[in-house]
Amino acid sequence: MSDDVRQNQRPEEQPGEIEEEIPVMSAPPPPAPRKAAAMDKRNAPSPPLKPSVFLEEEEEIVVTTPPPSLQRARTPAPPPFWSDRQNDHAPDDDVPISGASASSLYENELELRNLAEQTNTNVDAMGKLAAGTLKLIADNMRQMTDQQIERVNEMLRGVDLKDYLDPAFWEGIGIILRYQVDEQVAFIKRRMSGQYVTDAYGMDREIIDLVRPSLMFLYRTWWRVSVEGLEHVPAEGRALLVGNHSGVLPWDGAMIATAVAEEHPAQNQRLVRSMHLHWFSTLPFVSPALAALGQVPGLPENAIRLLEQDELVSVFPEGLKGVGKLFKDRYKLARFGRGGFVQAAIRAQAPIVPVAVVGAEEIYPMFANAENIAKLLGMPYFPLTPFFPWLGPLGFIPLPTRWSITFCEPLRTDMYDPAEADDPLTVLGLSELVRTTIQETIDRRLEERSSIF
Amino acid sequence: MTRVLINGIDSHLGAQVAQRLSVFPEVSIIGVGRKTPPAPVGRADWLLAHLSGLQMVELLRAEAIDVVVQLAFVENGASREEAVQQNVLGSMELLGACAKADVQRVVLRSHTALYGASPLNPTYITEHRPLAKINSPGWLRDVSEVEHFSAEFAARHPQLSLVSVRCAPLIGDTSPLVTYLRQPNPSMLAGFDPCFQLLHLEDAAAGFALAALSHAPGPFNLASSDTICLSQAIKLAGGRPNMVLEPVVSLAFAMGNRAILGRWPFELSFLRHSCIVDTCRAHGDLGWNPEHSAVDALMALQADEPDLARRELAAEALRAFLERRSEGVHDE
Repeated sequence: MSDDVRQNQRPEEQPGEIEEEIPVMSAPPPPAPRKAAAMDKRNAPSPPLKPSVFLEEEEEIVVTTPPPSLQRARTPAPPPFWSDRQNDHAPDDDVPISGASASSLYENELELRNLAEQTNTNVDAMGKLAAGTLKLIADNMRQMTDQQIERVNEMLRGVDLKDYLDPAFWEGIGIILRYQVDEQVAFIKRRMSGQYVTDAYGMDREIIDLVRPSLMFLYRTWWRVSVEGLEHVPAEGRALLVGNHSGVLPWDGAMIATAVAEEHPAQNQRLVRSMHLHWFSTLPFVSPALAALGQVPGLPENAIRLLEQDELVSVFPEGLKGVGKLFKDRYKLARFGRGGFVQAAIRAQAPIVPVAVVGAEEIYPMFANAENIAKLLGMPYFPLTPFFPWLGPLGFIPLPTRWSITFCEPLRTDMYDPAEADDPLTVLGLSELVRTTIQETIDRRLEERSSIF
Repeated sequence: MTRVLINGIDSHLGAQVAQRLSVFPEVSIIGVGRKTPPAPVGRADWLLAHLSGLQMVELLRAEAIDVVVQLAFVENGASREEAVQQNVLGSMELLGACAKADVQRVVLRSHTALYGASPLNPTYITEHRPLAKINSPGWLRDVSEVEHFSAEFAARHPQLSLVSVRCAPLIGDTSPLVTYLRQPNPSMLAGFDPCFQLLHLEDAAAGFALAALSHAPGPFNLASSDTICLSQAIKLAGGRPNMVLEPVVSLAFAMGNRAILGRWPFELSFLRHSCIVDTCRAHGDLGWNPEHSAVDALMALQADEPDLARRELAAEALRAFLERRSEGVHDE
């Protein structure tokens, strides 16, 4: 069974499929030359990576985006990066993908980007959004079966890519997304029989892989995150990432984790274990979801334990004071708790990497905090933004601001004796140092920023 | 020569501990129970009796017992009154007898659930963590009472080394959690999926045997090295979780209906939050290493445990029947 699957993914067989798809699906402006090229290629056994030709001519955003995804689409499905799984059932039912059809979507994405580049700036943003959405779908499609992909291709046939301003285009994408939901049913069925592995904190690698494309969409397309100083994050070994918290919902933690997983020079997809307020553990549905994504209740014992296991841990010492910050107080760091994070770092002898996130403050501009309602609902704060709660669930959609994440130089803690973790002077001093480092970096990045979008 | 007395050899756990201890040639084992041991007990000699406190002192003195392992514990099946009588008062009596008869070491069976399930507990709970208060009546409160009593007792009797072995929910015998998992649709709280550990009966027996022979003081946590989420455990045991909304449960509890959660053996909070213990002490000080993972234990439960239980019951009935028949033949 698994042999068959592997054969389907052999590179010799892929070009054939691609060539069948391209002429019909993408319907590019001058169709004749493209078709001819495709015909030529059919005879040539080795497929030239056509999109990469476009790539090299592109601007930075485009160049950074596609290469890893393209490689992924062409090589057989990547092996799970955790190797200690007991029963590896993946090849049988859920992951067999013909990367070919997905990669035809990637090509559409590139084409859209090219079109967007050529047109004027207003349409440009829209085009990039469309391209990002296509990429999100293609990433997800790598988890689909052949029949599903065939159906999606049916949907896309006859749609002119230049029409991404046309509501019909987005309607089509909506229908495709619905098919994806169908596709997840097989996955869910397997999970219904209990065939999966979680760790003591409830982290589930399969769920993380499942949401990764969506996080990447947010990261690349929605918030267009630019990242600096990733070399300060160790490729292996322990470190404590300390960030400024903002934005009502803790998206900043997710984006820091995505940056480390996807853009770290070592490319080892390192997981960041974010510490969340233990209050979240009391919320139904939220608590298991956070746990499955690898988040951990923010208790000093947990932080020390994870650091001692050489994990990458991220904390937000501002806590609720940070996330529930009003719009008028944006980018002014709140008090850093009582320095518990420094104690944990000294005890575990882990370096502290200050992280400055700019852009997350504006995703839900909270102009007031309805404390009475919050008290009534047992919540720590109840945000009033221009969209929430007035627009209902739509108010949960964050604004597409442009983000930057800066990882500052690590502060060593190994020159302290672990016993000094109980010395308030050392702890509070170091905590203040981290706070000023982050504040200065934020101020610098704010000056460099021309617009919040 | 170490002389060990196992109180409660008539349980599966007691029998297995006896068998484990039989491996060591320098250990002599005596078992006390109320009925015949359900499994082979190795070299152990056993006494079938319901001993009073003073009789127990006599036995301990006569045999010059060094170590007592207390495993006489009723979890389900008996009436509440009877269970308290045996679990709490029985243990108190036994501790008193041990102090009087100059026993050096007493190993008590306890439970990891005594730490409680709370978002304020660290994910891995060590033995230093203070025990939570158990409010709802049941076998768990008996365990908690014994643990508190023994802590006070140990303070007043420094010559007696009291060791409580806190076990994760046992699999492999009819334990309360197994009864819960054997239901076709065990109830869960919607929106919560706590992680927990299990302990295979054989690993528990090994832990008790090691704790009886070692000189290391203080409590030990015993649990499988892997953890498992409740929903996954239910699925692996062959059931389908029945999701109940929390407000519904609270309402039912307020109206005095505690049956809404089916046979869930712990407090409500254990359906919400994880309870996972750190077993480093048992690894380091006792040299204990679990052989079974939680997943294996559960798979075994799904595969052949009901069959096995049925076969055992049948064998027991057959034996009893043949005995009765042969006695009847002799009488004639």
